[in-house]
Parts: sequence; C-alpha cells; structure tokens
Amino acid sequence: MSFVKEVLSHLLRKPVTIEYPYVETSIEQDSRGRHFPDLRKCIGCSLCAIECPAKVITMKKLPSELKPPKNPRGLYPVINYIGCVFCYRCVSVCPVNAYVVSSEYRLASDRSIESSEELSLATLREGESR
Amino acid sequence: MTRATAVSEELVTLEIPIGPQHPALHEPIMLKVHADGEEVVKVEVNTGYNHRGIEKLTERNTFYKDIFIVSRVCGICNTVHADCYVRALEQILNIEPSPRAKYLRVLAQELERIHSHMLINAVMAEIVGFDTLFMTIMRDRELVMKAKEILTGGRVHADYFMPGGVRRDIDEVKRSRLLDILKRLEPRIKYYRQVFERDPTITKRLTGVGVLRPRDVVEHGLVGPVLRGSGVRSDVRAEDRYDAYDEVPFNVITYEEGDSLARMLLRWDEALESLNMCRYILEHLPQGSAVVDERKLPRRFPEGEAYTRVEAPRGELTYYVRSKGGDKPYRVKIRTPSYNNIINSAFSYIGYSIADVPVILVSYDPCISCMERAIIVDRRRGIRKLVSLRDLAMKGVAV
Repeated sequence: MSFVKEVLSHLLRKPVTIEYPYVETSIEQDSRGRHFPDLRKCIGCSLCAIECPAKVITMKKLPSELKPPKNPRGLYPVINYIGCVFCYRCVSVCPVNAYVVSSEYRLASDRSIESSEELSLATLREGESR
Repeated sequence: MTRATAVSEELVTLEIPIGPQHPALHEPIMLKVHADGEEVVKVEVNTGYNHRGIEKLTERNTFYKDIFIVSRVCGICNTVHADCYVRALEQILNIEPSPRAKYLRVLAQELERIHSHMLINAVMAEIVGFDTLFMTIMRDRELVMKAKEILTGGRVHADYFMPGGVRRDIDEVKRSRLLDILKRLEPRIKYYRQVFERDPTITKRLTGVGVLRPRDVVEHGLVGPVLRGSGVRSDVRAEDRYDAYDEVPFNVITYEEGDSLARMLLRWDEALESLNMCRYILEHLPQGSAVVDERKLPRRFPEGEAYTRVEAPRGELTYYVRSKGGDKPYRVKIRTPSYNNIINSAFSYIGYSIADVPVILVSYDPCISCMERAIIVDRRRGIRKLVSLRDLAMKGVAV
C-alpha cells in the first residue's frame, strides 16, 4: 500500500523531467565544460597536445599577422571538441595556466563549435584591439 | 549407463538466445538458454562482443594518459578503476597521498557505490515489470549524480584521481551542500529498502529465485554482493583497508538467504552504509592539501610492478601494473568483478523457469547490455518467433 501513497502524492505535482531547451539544466559553475586556450598567455610549448589522452589537441601555426610576444615558435593548440573527453588534463598540465574554463555543456547548437580555433584566435584579436 | 546430460539434450525443445544487444544495460552479452518446457536445463554464456582492447591501449600510452583511459573501462564504476590504477602507480613511484586526499577518494568511491546500487535496483524493478519504482529510484539517483558533480566536476566521469592526491578539493560551501544532499537521500534509500522488502510485486518474483549456497559461490569464484548475499563475509575494503578505509568506520553486511532478494536488499543496506561513511568523511575531513600539482609529477617511472585491488560496487576489482622504466607501462592487467560473476554463474540458472533468467542475471549486477529479445526455435515444428524482454520477464514464454 505504501507505494500507492507514493504514486498518489505525485498526481498533482509537475513532472520531474526538465523540458530541456526551454528550461535550463542546473549545472555546477565549476563542472568541466568547454575550455579553450587564451593565446595572450599561451607560450606554444605543446605540452597539452602531448599529454591529451584523447589525442584531440593539434598544434597549429599562428596566422602571420598575429605575433604574441610570449610565443616564439608561433604555435597554438586547437582542441577538437568532437573527440574531447573533457578530462581537463590540458588545463592542469599547462605551465602558464593559459586555459579558460567554463561549465558550457551545450556543444550542439545551431551554430555548432567544433574546435577551439575561433575562440582562441578571438582572445588574441581582442587583446590587440585593446 | 546413460549420462544425465545426454538425457537432458534429448529433451531440449527450446534454445533461446538472450542478447547480445539491449540498450538498458551497459555491455553486450549472450545467454543461450536451453529449456525443457519452462525449465532451464542448460545455459551457455557467450561474451566478447564488447572487446575494445583497452589493456593493449594502455601499453601504447603513457602512465598518466592511462589514468583517463582505464576510467573509461566502465562508466558506472569509473572512480574505482581509476583509484585501483592510481594506487598501483603510487606503489611503483613510492609516494603516499595526504590524509585529506585519501578521505576525498573514499568519498568519491562511496558516492559511486550508492548510485551504482540504486541503478541496479531500479533495473531490477524494471525487469520484474514495476516501471513506476524504476522511475522513482532513477529520479532520486539524480541526487547522488549531483553530489558527484559537486565533488568531482562531472556527473558520470569523475577524472578525479592522480598519483599523490586528487584533482580538486572541496570548500565549506560544497561540504554543506553535500551534507544536505545526503540528508535528503537517506529517507529515500530507507523507503526503497522497505519497498523491496515488503512489496509483493518484488518479493513474489525474487524470493527463493537463484539461490546460491555458500559452497557454490566460493567454488565458482563469485565476488562482491553475490558472495556476501550468500553469507560469506568478504569485502576488500575490510580486508585491505586501502585509502582511508582504515579510519572510516563501516560494517560488512552479509545475508544468509542467498537468493535474488537477499542480493538486492544487501545492496540497499550497503548503500545506506556508504551514505553513513560519506557523512562521516564530510564531518571528519582532515585539514591540509589534497590537490596534487600535476606539473611536478615525475615523467619517467622506475622499474617495478604493483598489484592492487579495490572493492568495486560489483565486487573485487584487481589491477596488475608492470613498469620496465620509461614513461609507458609494460603491462596492465585488469580483472573486473562482472567477468567472474557472469562467466562462472551459468550453473545457477538451472532448474528455474525461463522467466526467472532475467531476474537472476540482473541480481548479479551484470555490467552487460541486457536482453532485447529472444528467438524461440521449436525444433519439432520448425517454428521461429520473437519474444520481447518484457513478455519474457512478465508472462514467461508462451510457446
């Protein structure tokens, strides 16, 4: 009988499931979401690409017009979010703490962001325009 | 003299392949059930559908990358895999984590034990046809997932362990939030235990089904809750006292009955015990640092080997790691509890009806993709027909 009571107590309540795109999922501020390297800090050491367990970080040449002062080799890491397992190993091995972390988990959207390339280059362009 | 097996083979009219694909559970397995009418006379366990070559993969990657690779052996019990492997690395490196890190490791593992036990009890409710109970248990399981997210930063994959400590610490705010979640969770677990103990929907399907005598479980090398459900007192946490289990008080729970109901009730009792352990840890968390600086860990490992074991939610999990120097392991051998429990338990289905097969299988907490449908082949009449798992579990097989 006790379970009947439990069921009846839910009759007038709203459903527990969230209507996701209309209602936001409650997520911790420091949960592991989308992250990208801030190129104003990055020194192009490739350590994150070497340590990545999913092998989704590749080092690319910076465009010739962008010349950050601390990056002698002109390389920057690009994360492919499709294969990323969000373990944050790259964040914790970075010697200059260059990674910007967020709890953004909505990686599939109408404007899908497949790699960190644009986000990273935007940090550098912002820095130059300031 | 005619052997008993020869007699039974002649009588077989049904050969029911159960599996290998089912979306509800985690890994694919196939049980080929031979039945004489309704009675199961023989079960063949076929595995190997999910071989991903993780042990070989670990040999080709560095020790540190392997921490994240081995935690992906299983999604439900990822912290125990990572803890077992990381302790093996610590033995090779000869380093010791701080007391606070040890406490936090136990906290992550016990939270995982709670949600794993809740999951399999919910699946059992679904298998016996009690879907409302499945829904409510899964709703309350979200509390534990939230607690895991607060502690480790991920709902499912913790990625929380690193040689020498853990990867993130908790502050006072998080501590009080975790205690609040545990406070809300406790009455729910007690309530579900009561439902499993008293509700006739559950007890009529589970009592006296899949009875294992203590001698059977020991002879066949079954581990974990299956072992303790038959009255054998064996728990790696109590035997090895690894991490902070030497300081955190807990009881090893055993049931004498040995049937499916005893195994499920044992899981509820263990979940309650884990909840008390989590509360003790949060109230007695030692001061000091727990987070290890991953940039300062040694890149190359000395020569050596380590053999570690932990009590996973499903039983004893062991890791053997061998290093020949350098940055990659020479060999990583993993033995998971499900493998023992499922491969060696074919004997336990014999004598029960076909409808009991899913119940017995789920009571072992298999890490497998359960049974989507079964094909009935009537050899005498040459008829083949498909039976859904729901029909199999709820009505038995109508031939």
